[in-house]
Amino acid sequence: MDRRLKRHLEQAFGDRLHGPVRQRGDTTEIRVGPADVIAVMRELHEGKHFRFEILADLAGVDTGEEMWVVYHLWSSGSPDWLRVIADGLPRDNPRVPSVTFLWNGAEWAEREAYDMFGIIFEGNRDLRRIYMPPDYTSFPLRKDFLLPDDAARSPGEGFRHVEQPHQPGEYRRRPVVRAAKTTRAELAAGEGSTT
Amino acid sequence: MTAERTHVRSLDDPDIWVDSPATIFDAVPPYPPRSEREAEFYQLRDGEMLINLGPQHPSTHGVLRVVLKIDGERVVDLDPVLGYLHRGVEKICENGDWHHAISNCDPLEYIASMFSEAMPVLVAEKLLDLQVPRRAEYIRVLAWELNRISSHALFIGWLALDLGGLTPILYGFIERDEIVEMLAALTGQRLLFNYLRIGGVNGDLNHDFLSRLGDWMSRAGRQIEHQTQLLNENEIFVRRTKGLGVLDRETALRLCLSGPPLRATGVPYDVRRAHPYSVYPELEFDIPTRSEGDSYARYLLHIDEIRESMRIIDQVLHQMPDGPVMGKIPRLIRVPPGRAFIAIESPRGQYACYGMSDGSDQPFRLRIHDPSFFNLQAVGLLTPGNLIADTMAIMASLDPIMGGIDK
Repeated sequence: MDRRLKRHLEQAFGDRLHGPVRQRGDTTEIRVGPADVIAVMRELHEGKHFRFEILADLAGVDTGEEMWVVYHLWSSGSPDWLRVIADGLPRDNPRVPSVTFLWNGAEWAEREAYDMFGIIFEGNRDLRRIYMPPDYTSFPLRKDFLLPDDAARSPGEGFRHVEQPHQPGEYRRRPVVRAAKTTRAELAAGEGSTT
Repeated sequence: MTAERTHVRSLDDPDIWVDSPATIFDAVPPYPPRSEREAEFYQLRDGEMLINLGPQHPSTHGVLRVVLKIDGERVVDLDPVLGYLHRGVEKICENGDWHHAISNCDPLEYIASMFSEAMPVLVAEKLLDLQVPRRAEYIRVLAWELNRISSHALFIGWLALDLGGLTPILYGFIERDEIVEMLAALTGQRLLFNYLRIGGVNGDLNHDFLSRLGDWMSRAGRQIEHQTQLLNENEIFVRRTKGLGVLDRETALRLCLSGPPLRATGVPYDVRRAHPYSVYPELEFDIPTRSEGDSYARYLLHIDEIRESMRIIDQVLHQMPDGPVMGKIPRLIRVPPGRAFIAIESPRGQYACYGMSDGSDQPFRLRIHDPSFFNLQAVGLLTPGNLIADTMAIMASLDPIMGGIDK
């Protein structure tokens, strides 16, 4: 735990932080709103107490109620990982500024988060799907995207996910329907609901 | 004559009809540009043309497709197209329990899967605040370093193969095969080991493994020297890698590179030292760096790292403590709610994982950061201006593994 880092973070960002600076083990965590991401990340990258030069990870998260973008930073001046959570992105229109102006290597990570969660990174010049085909409409890592595979313990058993169009802006909890297990005879006839 | 436009079924989704016979496999996509960059890339100036490299080209190390925009023999720009190997590992992990995640993460980095399978293990241990038996930690380090050597040996062969030399890959496979057989004796599997467990490892060292290891250690150093002499003093190899694909420190940091491509620019960022984990603080080894930042520097760095790994293996074997290899943990693990981030140094760079748990026996979110995914981005910067043949050399020197890139 890096107490000095905590003090510097509180001094530099003060009331822009959502909640206190949390420290546990070898990680320091702060939360900011999406509007403050640019200022906070620039300060963390260039500020003389921080110098977080390495973007160790950029991840999208869907908590079920809201979306997050989670950044992990590393600096030679601190023994801790710094986790910056941009929280409170609405699920129907998640928007956050891009950090490609500091790390252009974040471009693909942001494309991935867009592809999997539908998070729009404003300022990313190349925001298109990276894994899924271009005519795909869903965002697979969202919590309301159910896996059809009954080997997985998902409530989506029995659904074909391609039959569930999902546009950003359209979020409704789908009823959990458990289809009857496919019988051996049906599988043999090629009528199985899953792979 | 223009091609007749017809209504055809989309190859991606047979329920969708598209009005062009072109498919997404064609160099020019059959849909309007989706981003600023894509619009710019697919606009051709006089004398330029687009060609597809991949997805089944042998030098792309898997199923990577790169659309090259060329002017004569020179590459003007390029656009990597990913996703041909996408399996949705993160989603699958969310739907199985923590133990399933170990084997689901195995095939990510299929050349060095001891590293990718460590992801859910280390995250769960951090969330559980679990102390792993010291013998298990040492065995993990031993397995990791052996896996690193096998991966690096194969890298050297691949790099030469992409430059047109056939022999080094045969030597590389000798090295790799010995290690892989050794690890098979330890884990029961040649490639996807599924050996690490939350709280330890699956089995203790056995006689078969140790005798193979001792046998290999007695001649590995000489063998690797012999193999690298073949390339270090090869004029064709040196001329085709020296001064090619040069990166400087600033650019490498901004591109989020890690591993050998970053250390070849002089940044000594190795997670084993930068943010120590496991028993690495107790071991003595150096972090080799180079300042040139070109393909040749990356190649030399791999050889240096093989030597350092041999040093580590030597120390691990001498310091190996006695004791259990598995902590006492219940079979059904309910991981306490929380968030955890871990990173380890894989042969390709920083392999990291961000895990969230909601208190159930399944991960709530398991984000896997693959170094190849970030390192591959550098080709977009390094290749323009070079020959098509050098594109392969640069790509090979970044050592991408598509299993991890496409997840």
